[in-house]
Amino acid sequence: MAPTFYHDDPKWSNIKPIPQNDTARPLAAIAYTDEYSEAMSYLRAVMAKNEYSHRVLGLTDHIISMNPAHYTIWLYRFKVLSELHADLREEIAWLNVTALKHLKNYQIWHHRQTVIDKLGSPEGEADFIATMLQQDTKNYHVWSYRQFLVQRFGLFDDEGELKWTEGMIEEDVRNNSAWNHRYFLVFGGKGEQTADKAIVERELNYAKAAIKKAPQNQSSWNYLRGVVRRNKLPTSTLKDFALEFADIEKPDDVTSSYALDTLADIYTEYQSKREEAKKALDLLATRYDPVRAHYWNYRKRLLE
Amino acid sequence: MAPFAGEEAEGTLNYAKQIKYWRRHLRTFLPHHYTGNDSNRMTFAYFILAATDILGDLDSALSAEDRQGYIEWVYQCQLPDGGFRAFPGTDFGDGARSDDNAPWDPANIPGTFFALSILVLLRDDLSRVKRRETLRWLKKMQRPNGSFGEALGENDVVEGGNDSRFGYMGTGIRYILRGNVEGPVEGVPDIDVDSFVKCVQIAETYDGGLSEAPLHEAHAGFAACAIAALAFIDRLPTSSGASDDRPRGITNLPLTLHWLASRQTLTLDDEDALDTLNDETDSAATCHDAHAFVKLGSHPSKQGSLSFENQPTSHFELQWVGVNGRCNKIGDTCYAYWTCAPLALLGHLDIIDRKPIRRWLLDRTQHMVGGFGKLPGDFPDIYHSFLGLMTLSIFGEAGLKDTDVLLNMSNKAKEHLLSLAWRREIVGN
Repeated sequence: MAPTFYHDDPKWSNIKPIPQNDTARPLAAIAYTDEYSEAMSYLRAVMAKNEYSHRVLGLTDHIISMNPAHYTIWLYRFKVLSELHADLREEIAWLNVTALKHLKNYQIWHHRQTVIDKLGSPEGEADFIATMLQQDTKNYHVWSYRQFLVQRFGLFDDEGELKWTEGMIEEDVRNNSAWNHRYFLVFGGKGEQTADKAIVERELNYAKAAIKKAPQNQSSWNYLRGVVRRNKLPTSTLKDFALEFADIEKPDDVTSSYALDTLADIYTEYQSKREEAKKALDLLATRYDPVRAHYWNYRKRLLE
Repeated sequence: MAPFAGEEAEGTLNYAKQIKYWRRHLRTFLPHHYTGNDSNRMTFAYFILAATDILGDLDSALSAEDRQGYIEWVYQCQLPDGGFRAFPGTDFGDGARSDDNAPWDPANIPGTFFALSILVLLRDDLSRVKRRETLRWLKKMQRPNGSFGEALGENDVVEGGNDSRFGYMGTGIRYILRGNVEGPVEGVPDIDVDSFVKCVQIAETYDGGLSEAPLHEAHAGFAACAIAALAFIDRLPTSSGASDDRPRGITNLPLTLHWLASRQTLTLDDEDALDTLNDETDSAATCHDAHAFVKLGSHPSKQGSLSFENQPTSHFELQWVGVNGRCNKIGDTCYAYWTCAPLALLGHLDIIDRKPIRRWLLDRTQHMVGGFGKLPGDFPDIYHSFLGLMTLSIFGEAGLKDTDVLLNMSNKAKEHLLSLAWRREIVGN
């Protein structure tokens, strides 16, 4: 796209641009392009007089393409949309394209939430999210936004939502964002309430099956431990399961450091099992997770 | 500890290049690709000055005129009703500001926190800061649920995210302007400290981390900001475990320490972070952190076996350890800071091994032109360069100034803040 210059455009001839006041010794000054400097000068001018018009909508689009992190341009844009009674579906269509250009921007998601909230329907959003996750399956903003949708439209118990999450975990069993989303769906709508026994059982089995596929996976173990903790089950519930992957009596035959970690926690809970706990921590520090040797040794010192 | 003879591979901080890197950012225009960060200029300005200070170069880099000029630039960003904008870009100029257009040119939480930090660093006495107005505005920036936002919109609606970044900077503004005295000061009511603590508590995650919002995914950046905010308001767990009936954050400290320690990773390169899509088992390509150690492939599916059949089974070295921000993610310079800073604030930096992290930063992400990149081989940028340098200073790198992890400034600069007469009167020492 060729640079747009407003001073040449008769549509903007009634606006007197306000140049940036950057003083004699600015800090972190940027070598702005003429295009950006000029557009910003026109933005200040229209903001100063609270102009809400179609041309302003175009101007905000132009600036957002260069600086999507501008924190008031989004609020201003939303105000303009409201004053013009604009079709918010069109705004979503525009956002779909814009979001793909700015994958790590915060403001754009806030704006999208505001618009979708006003529209009152999540229709089409699942497709958009799928497109975004194709770029990066662990994009934090996208998952956060999905959580907003679930909360706003009460989708905690929506079966399709849980199925979709399972699909994401199946695609990549190490996608921690997907695991977290599962936890959010299953327990997020419940507050402090205890979950059904059957649901807890289902979740434990789900995590265990994933661990059996890939035992050396932080995400699935964290999930398993998290479900146990949230539902106030004793850690020792997991003892037999952990023993399938690690046994301090068979120190050459460990297939998961996380199983060893779990056993260390279980043994730590019993005064009479201190030596076993130390042995598990030792194996972690010296053989199976030396990256974290300092941490395992610290844990060992706590047992002295 | 003296290095062993012949052991050159200790990693070295290239002071000359680092100083040159920061001087260039201080002295010349940032290249236009920083335009997307125009609205973070106050933050970047602070990073540039603070890095220069930590390298011991600030006094020689700045003339008295520079110093005064920069101070004026910061004050130019102060708003009539308190607080600072985050960049000059929203300033309508003399006389154009009105109640109607004020929402488009608001005071901003990061802008205010870093403006105040710059003034401290430049040894201004903050006498021109509209202190009462800023503290009154700060109170308005807190939502009923305890969280802070980024700026006030129309009708004083708190706009922006509600995550711990703004909580950190909001409590930081309070700390700079009134220490951690609770209750009204000079007739200005305090923020609701207890409700802020609760808002941090409910963002604790099932795996011991902290997230952007309740039940969102644990993330080291949000964990660091939350823990630092609690430090600003003196609401971290007490070391004695004694309770004084004031709510405190980090309700399961051992679990949070476990989570923070788990951020150390051997996945250092994009090549390491092989796409694990459809790969449902453990292989050399999928779990670096332990693949060299655990017995893999005991539970392989057919597809899984195929996926690593032809992969080299290289053994990863432990001399270089990276730090990631979430489970099963690649190491990234900034997360060394976001993980080590909270550990330092919690008094547990000893649970990670500084040496290989330091070497990873120095050997892999330090750039030959100075600064640090995000990943090995990446060009440096201001954000990663500052946080890389801060991490080394937290580790006590020889030749760098001692720094205060909470304010991210040299202890020397912090002393100036603590010495200001008006502040001593408020905090009572």
